[in-house]
Amino acid sequence: MSVRLDGDIIRLEGRCHVEDAEPLLVLLQAQPGRVVDCAGAETLHTAVIQVLIALGCPISGETSDGFVRRWVAPALTKEPARP
Amino acid sequence: MDHLADQFLAEGRELVQQAADDLAALADRPDSPDLIDGVFRAVHTLKGSTGLFDLGPFGEMLHVAEDLLGALRKQALAAHPDIIEALVLCIDQSGRWLDAFEAKGALPPDAREVGARLRNDLRRWLGDPGVTEALPTESSDRSWLGPFLDAQATLPEGDLVAIRYVPRADCFFSGDDPIAMLKAVPGLCALAIGARQPWAPADAFDPYQCNLVFDALTSAPRAEAQAALRLVADQVQIVEVARGPADVGTVREGIARSLRIDAGQIDALGTIADEIVVANNVLAHLAAQARRGVPGEALAQGILASHLDLDRLVGRLHRAVMRVRLMPLAALFRRFPRLMREIGARLGKDVALTIEGETIEVDKSLVDGLFEPLLHLLRNAADHGIEPAAARRGAGKPARGTIRLGAQRIADQVVIEIADDGKGIDPAGIRRTAAARGLMPEAALADLGDADVLDLIFTPGFSTAETITDVSGRGVGMDAVRTAVLRLGGRIVLSSTVGAGTNVRLSLPVSVVLSNVIVVSCAGEIWGVPMDMVVETVRIPADRVMAVRNSRAFVLRDVVVPVFELSALLGLASGEAPADLRLLVVQRADGLVAVAVDEFTDRLNLLLRPMSGLLAGMPGIAGTAVLGDGRVLMILDLAELIG
Repeated sequence: MSVRLDGDIIRLEGRCHVEDAEPLLVLLQAQPGRVVDCAGAETLHTAVIQVLIALGCPISGETSDGFVRRWVAPALTKEPARP
Repeated sequence: MDHLADQFLAEGRELVQQAADDLAALADRPDSPDLIDGVFRAVHTLKGSTGLFDLGPFGEMLHVAEDLLGALRKQALAAHPDIIEALVLCIDQSGRWLDAFEAKGALPPDAREVGARLRNDLRRWLGDPGVTEALPTESSDRSWLGPFLDAQATLPEGDLVAIRYVPRADCFFSGDDPIAMLKAVPGLCALAIGARQPWAPADAFDPYQCNLVFDALTSAPRAEAQAALRLVADQVQIVEVARGPADVGTVREGIARSLRIDAGQIDALGTIADEIVVANNVLAHLAAQARRGVPGEALAQGILASHLDLDRLVGRLHRAVMRVRLMPLAALFRRFPRLMREIGARLGKDVALTIEGETIEVDKSLVDGLFEPLLHLLRNAADHGIEPAAARRGAGKPARGTIRLGAQRIADQVVIEIADDGKGIDPAGIRRTAAARGLMPEAALADLGDADVLDLIFTPGFSTAETITDVSGRGVGMDAVRTAVLRLGGRIVLSSTVGAGTNVRLSLPVSVVLSNVIVVSCAGEIWGVPMDMVVETVRIPADRVMAVRNSRAFVLRDVVVPVFELSALLGLASGEAPADLRLLVVQRADGLVAVAVDEFTDRLNLLLRPMSGLLAGMPGIAGTAVLGDGRVLMILDLAELIG
């Protein structure tokens, strides 16, 4: 499973394919504002990234996909720094 | 043809093939979603890449085919045999257009009409004309460019190319991953991601509709950006930003040879390379032991084991590299079914082509070099072999003729066979024609056995067809076929039984490596010299050669180069001394050497065969090669010849 709910955090892990977009969306719709942790994600399909952009959910952790980290991450919403 | 076009053709043919295969299977299993998916993907990808070139009718036809396949996929429509037939016609036409594009760089003049007809045939099934959306045309709207460039804090020096990529809304369904596509763009220096439409609220958001717009900047040349995005060319705008030197067109440097390689094979090569590194470390360890003075016996054991290891790895590496050059015969064979349908239709004959052994892998040069000869043989079989239906029925055969194109691997040879169940070749008829054409004296002809008589078909200028049709050649064919096969290092044998059919067998080496050879003449004979031995060829006035003791030499750019006569080296009579000398300058371990010849006649790519048997030890001869006209060329090893 590439999309996993861990407490309040949605974790993306391994290779996230096109079919992971829907479960991710469902988790975000169920409780808006959930943080998505990309630290374990090796690759992210465009459909998954589109969900992250469209819903503007806060992101924590950096994916190991260098291209996404360099070029796509700036378009995503950073998790606000915790006090 | 540039690199992009080559790639388009190679991929296009694969996609056409995949679509054709899936459609053929679909005819038996019309409800298989996997097969419909397969055709859809192939058509979708092919359509995307047609956008790279000026192939309007091609793209438009595929667009409608894609819509129709989309309807099949959504099960809005059942895969009726007539629909499959319409799609087969469309895929066949794609194959023809790829051929035309390869030959002429453009679609044939009737493409617009043909395309419109096929489009209408396809559209009929869609019923509702509203289903077809307008074909996206190359947008000239550049309004996005200014704001995008302004948003970049810094821009790198030099020429830049801006890309706007608007993936189709349904692109995820076609298996596209737009960001993965962009990863392939070299030299990326900026990427902005936007939305085509305002985002829907979270609860109404459809994750499978792509609403993204990508604007990118790259320092790579336009052609490279185009190549990376070729599969989605219809969704991409590419604009050169900075003013560079005028585009002077593409200058081809030599002929680029490309090979499409399965990624698994590269991985396998990588694994071997890793193991060689490990084996090398073992050797380093042994070398250190030797330095420390470890006793010879123990050391020898280690070296022996290490050698065995390396030997095994080098062997594996060699095999793996040879494998890379191999490709399945399918790439060749699969071009024929459509062509045979066309040939059959033109001749008014019902001909079935069966294909066997297409999974056999052979060297790429065979796949490239056998298309024309095989097409010629198949055409001959349909035209001259298979009888008209009425005659076949009269002879008690099924009305439909069968031509079998088969391949099998025998040791390191591949045997390709073309067999028809037609009327066969009558040796008496060949004897008559050969006599009429004066190919041989009648007495000699009478002495020839029937098998040898059949061989006369390969004689230049021989044609047995009483009428020349537009399908078969004009008597220039079979000798050209034989020459092509000889060039690839193969043999061709024809056998035939009157009334039962004709069988042509080609035996070819699975692996072929061609060498570039310069052909020279000397004392009235021709010889070949491998180009990689020759540093340069020079032509100088005879008086620039001076006598140095009892030999001769000339000065080439301040270096004294000894001159030898090829005729003397070969022990041939030398003619009169010419006013100009033609010299082959050859690199030897001890420096440059020049060899005088009478004439440079040609440069050819030939298959070199090493000398075998009694001749194997002959000094100065590297091997032989067969020339286009069937003559055998001796290939010289000049360095060895000079001794």
